[in-house]
Amino acid sequence: MDDRMNQTLEQAAAFQKLWLDTFGGMASVWSQYSPDAPPPEEMRKMRSGMLKAVAGAWDEFIRTPQFMEMMKVSLNGALDMRRMARDGINKIHEQFETPTKEDLDSILLAIRHVERRLLEALEGVDDRVRTNTDRLEKLAEHLAKANGRAAKPKESVQGLSKEAGARTEAAGKRKASTN
Amino acid sequence: MSTTTEMKDSAGMFQDWGAWQTSFLKEGLTNLQRMTALPFLPDKMERVRKGVTPRELVYEEDRLKLFRYIGKGGVKHKTPLCFVFALVNRPYIFDLKEGRSVLAQFVNAGFDTYLVDWGSPTRAERFLTTDDYVNGYLHNVVNFLRERTGQPQVNMLGYCMGGTLSTIYTALHQDRVRNLILLAAGIDFATRDGLINLWTDPRYFDVDKFVDTMGNIPADFLQYAFLMLKPIANLIEKPINLLENMHKEEFLEDYLYMETWLNDNIPVPGEVYREFAKYLFQQNLLTQNRLPVGRHTVDLRKITCPLLNLMARNDDLVPCSQTEPLNDLVSSTDKEKIIWPAGHIGLAVSGRAQKELWPRATEWLAKRSQ
Repeated sequence: MDDRMNQTLEQAAAFQKLWLDTFGGMASVWSQYSPDAPPPEEMRKMRSGMLKAVAGAWDEFIRTPQFMEMMKVSLNGALDMRRMARDGINKIHEQFETPTKEDLDSILLAIRHVERRLLEALEGVDDRVRTNTDRLEKLAEHLAKANGRAAKPKESVQGLSKEAGARTEAAGKRKASTN
Repeated sequence: MSTTTEMKDSAGMFQDWGAWQTSFLKEGLTNLQRMTALPFLPDKMERVRKGVTPRELVYEEDRLKLFRYIGKGGVKHKTPLCFVFALVNRPYIFDLKEGRSVLAQFVNAGFDTYLVDWGSPTRAERFLTTDDYVNGYLHNVVNFLRERTGQPQVNMLGYCMGGTLSTIYTALHQDRVRNLILLAAGIDFATRDGLINLWTDPRYFDVDKFVDTMGNIPADFLQYAFLMLKPIANLIEKPINLLENMHKEEFLEDYLYMETWLNDNIPVPGEVYREFAKYLFQQNLLTQNRLPVGRHTVDLRKITCPLLNLMARNDDLVPCSQTEPLNDLVSSTDKEKIIWPAGHIGLAVSGRAQKELWPRATEWLAKRSQ
């Protein structure tokens, strides 16, 4: 037997087990039926027991590789159908020279690439400004020490660094507005 | 002797028959009450409010909205607290209804409380990545809060996928986060306890094919996936429960508020979904400190702030085994975890959590906030 046949048989076996467990569980609940108790309460008890049995069987089944294989096949089938339908619609769009979803997506993607490049460049500038500011601060401190004065230049450098930081953050806030 | 037994049997039969009749009568009356309640159901559904605590919009960027919640008692703690929710649902679960609001707990405890509402993405947002959400939107929100409050750091509280995003943000920008609180946040995806982890196994789920075909991941798909986590409970037991209890005012109100939120899913941007499915669910890169987010790589060891990790014992969506390992992966010395006897949603809104867990969490944060 080939793999495909084996797989089908395994799926059938898993499905059979699911229904056997379901009906077996339900039957065992009915064996606890007590005719003396008032019917509404008893029925409620039976229902809850049956649902518990069914839930147990299904919870086990949806964890099996066979279920996941079935899920994969049905999902892939649905995706293929969707692709085929879209290809058909795209052909109609082409005939009428109107933009397709792919056209729009490619424009969005192009904008996204430009945005990404700009943001990366900005981040690079930000990193460089930060490094230079640190260096300037150190230099100012060094100079202040050398001159024996209070580190006044540091304040001006810090002000400069704050301004640069605020500018980068403002640029960040505008980020993604092109999406 | 036999006559006495027969008489006793007949008396017993009459008693049983009487009990049967009473129970049928009761059931009939209850059914009548149920039927009477049915016509008012649509009206009650329309009256469901999405969030109850007063709030104001303070920041907006693309689809994102940042709300500030207004309390009666004023602000006692200067460090702002920012709630971050998942991208798959609306965030008003944090503020579900009177007496079931996590936000109200913090507002009433004197925290300057904010909530990030990511909004619903359109097709134009399908190429947004985790980097855009974490280093773009969330970073801008944090910068805005720092500017607005004059505080160098914020407290962050993330729920579910929002917890994962908050963890990533904290690892990348530890200097900006003072305290981190997580609720049922997915961190270690190696575990196979959760069904979502099983279903996204690369042998059965081709994430690239899925995202390339679908673009944004439709809200309906996510909704069905969540329903399938407990198919019998969600598709059969829940409607039966509603029919049986629709005449009970309190039950109906809780049910409608919860169901309104549960069915209010929003699409997830395709690229974010691809990254989450591939890098987290399939490759589990976050725990290996190898998760790429834009130009950066997330290293959980860079988290040094106090951490409160809350998880639910009966969580079907994010099992404890997926959340618990975080406490061992971060460098924080002040870290605590609480495993609460509830489900994924009950962790936030259950009556017991509201009475016991959240006062504990607010106290934890108050001790560590300015």
